[in-house]
Amino acid sequence: MISLLTRAVLMSTPILLGATAEVFAERAGMMIIAIEGIFLIGAWGGFVGVYLTQSYLLGFLLAGVLGVLAAMLYGYITIYLKQHQIVTGIAINILIAGLIAFFHRVIFGIPLLPLTIEPLKTLPIPLLSKIPAIGQILFNQNILTYLAFIGAPLGFFILFRTSTGLIIRSTGENPVSVDVAGLKVERIRFTVTAIAGFVGAIAGSFYSVAFLGMFSNTIIGGRGWIAFAICFLGNWNPLGALIGALIFGLAEAIAIYMQSSGGTFLPNELFIALPYILTIVLTISRKNFNVPAKLGIPYQKEN
Amino acid sequence: MNPKIKDLIITTFLSILFGMILSGLLLLFLDKNPITAFGKLFSFLFRDGYTFADIFVKATPLIFTALAFAFTFKASLFNIGAQGQFYMGAVAALSVSHLLGGIIPGPVALIIIFLSSLLAGGVWGALVGFVKAKFNANDFLVSMMSVYIALAFMNYLLRTVLIESKHEYPQSDPILKDVFLPIFVNGTRLHTGFLMAVVIAVLCWIFLYKTTYGYRIRVVGMNPIAAKFAGIEAGRIYILAFLISGGLAGLAGFTEVNGVQHMLVQDFNTTIGAEGIGIAILANANPIGIIFGAILFGALKVGGSILGQTSGIPSSIIELMEGFVMLFVILSYYVRRKLELRREILKLKSEAEV
Repeated sequence: MISLLTRAVLMSTPILLGATAEVFAERAGMMIIAIEGIFLIGAWGGFVGVYLTQSYLLGFLLAGVLGVLAAMLYGYITIYLKQHQIVTGIAINILIAGLIAFFHRVIFGIPLLPLTIEPLKTLPIPLLSKIPAIGQILFNQNILTYLAFIGAPLGFFILFRTSTGLIIRSTGENPVSVDVAGLKVERIRFTVTAIAGFVGAIAGSFYSVAFLGMFSNTIIGGRGWIAFAICFLGNWNPLGALIGALIFGLAEAIAIYMQSSGGTFLPNELFIALPYILTIVLTISRKNFNVPAKLGIPYQKEN
Repeated sequence: MNPKIKDLIITTFLSILFGMILSGLLLLFLDKNPITAFGKLFSFLFRDGYTFADIFVKATPLIFTALAFAFTFKASLFNIGAQGQFYMGAVAALSVSHLLGGIIPGPVALIIIFLSSLLAGGVWGALVGFVKAKFNANDFLVSMMSVYIALAFMNYLLRTVLIESKHEYPQSDPILKDVFLPIFVNGTRLHTGFLMAVVIAVLCWIFLYKTTYGYRIRVVGMNPIAAKFAGIEAGRIYILAFLISGGLAGLAGFTEVNGVQHMLVQDFNTTIGAEGIGIAILANANPIGIIFGAILFGALKVGGSILGQTSGIPSSIIELMEGFVMLFVILSYYVRRKLELRREILKLKSEAEV
């Protein structure tokens, strides 16, 4: 039970990071449809960085930089050229998948054995990690998990209790007022998108650097979309995202547990599909949404 | 020629060209000469009838998945779950082929198999439209998730009831010869599914642009509020659009199982959903344009994979080209808008002078 919950908190990490990034962007009016690609480029960048330099810090940095570049390309086309966010996002996701497969080959050729790195170790917090049960579940995790679970409440604070947060939310709700106040709507959206790209890529690097210690083209397998979904389900609130991410972490932990233990009367595939089924069920069952008014709509300045 | 159509043709052509040039330049990272590589790619395509015909074999399922995306796109809906509807169609095609093969005459069986793929993909797609209409669920999200569920479902069946008689690999037994889609160019793999795809694309165009239902779908897409005032029930249109869209993607399963693979294997055609979206965007969601877009992507796939086998150039170059082409096509939307605005301004100016 304790190991299951520990796993649940672990697996919710990337979803929470990604969903928090998505919440910020969507509050500013930007759906980051490219998030699946950003997760993937982060997973790849993190792996390559750690493999080549043996430094986790440089790995995360490479992941983050690539994520920012991808998000900036997405932001430029959707914000400044005002193209459709969903269409652009899908195109960028396909492009990123191709780029990564290609450059993986350029850098590593065709390796005989699968390339691996040492997965990120857990970082037990002194004293707190000694608390029975809770210590193991909450305070004996890796650094990304701590960042994700501190980041969500911090994100809530920034978004709803600071003037920066007010500006971000106004950009998504009523961009005209932001413009009248003398701020540049496009610049705010672009900046938030770039930062979301950084965080999203770090989230993606979790799978290669902290969890599996390897990279494959299918490593993300729709987890970026799940983070995207959690942003909706969490009602565009980082704390809502936290609850959503934990539910998904639990679903994924159960799936992993069931697959490894075997011998259940239910098919494995059901557990593999569980997180996706859960997303649909939750999407249907949520009634009151707090959709940012100008979500997905490019800002057109009136003359 | 209408200047708008002229812009469309020129900018689309340039997008394809730029996409290829940019991905060609990346070949320099592998110390390969892009010009010789592309020269080879084209010469491979025409080296024999079999290879050339394969372009159309590869284009066939892409026409269906692209039509699937285009159909919902016209209603401002997003079916990005064509991959899953394709799996459902493939499972139905295989199961019914096993059930009817050798029992009833081939042509009759093929018609029933066709209908069951259409239905399987259609129902799986219509579920997305249903939750959109009934619960106002996000169609983009739900259709995306439905892919992974369909994949898990297919893998489960391949491991259990559909597994081959030897029980070794997660793949099915081959289907009987009399339920193969007939080959229409001897000595190649080109099957009648391609002709079917072209005919259905034309039918889609007629449906969308020449019938009342098609008109309603487009009105809901262009202006949902106006549609409401005109008494068009958006919910019904959602379900209808997703039903047809899913059915079209399901047909890709039919042509792949009965036309090409003649069995069901794990992990086959994993990219046709995404490529279909790319083609639909390239063709501006026009069903006739989709036929040409799919043939282009088919040619890239055939040429690219031979290039990979013979010249040590990774076949991921195909995805790269597809990605860059899509990106430039989106940029061309922007350029076209600018050109149109400029034309309008010039027109207004000349009118003012008169």
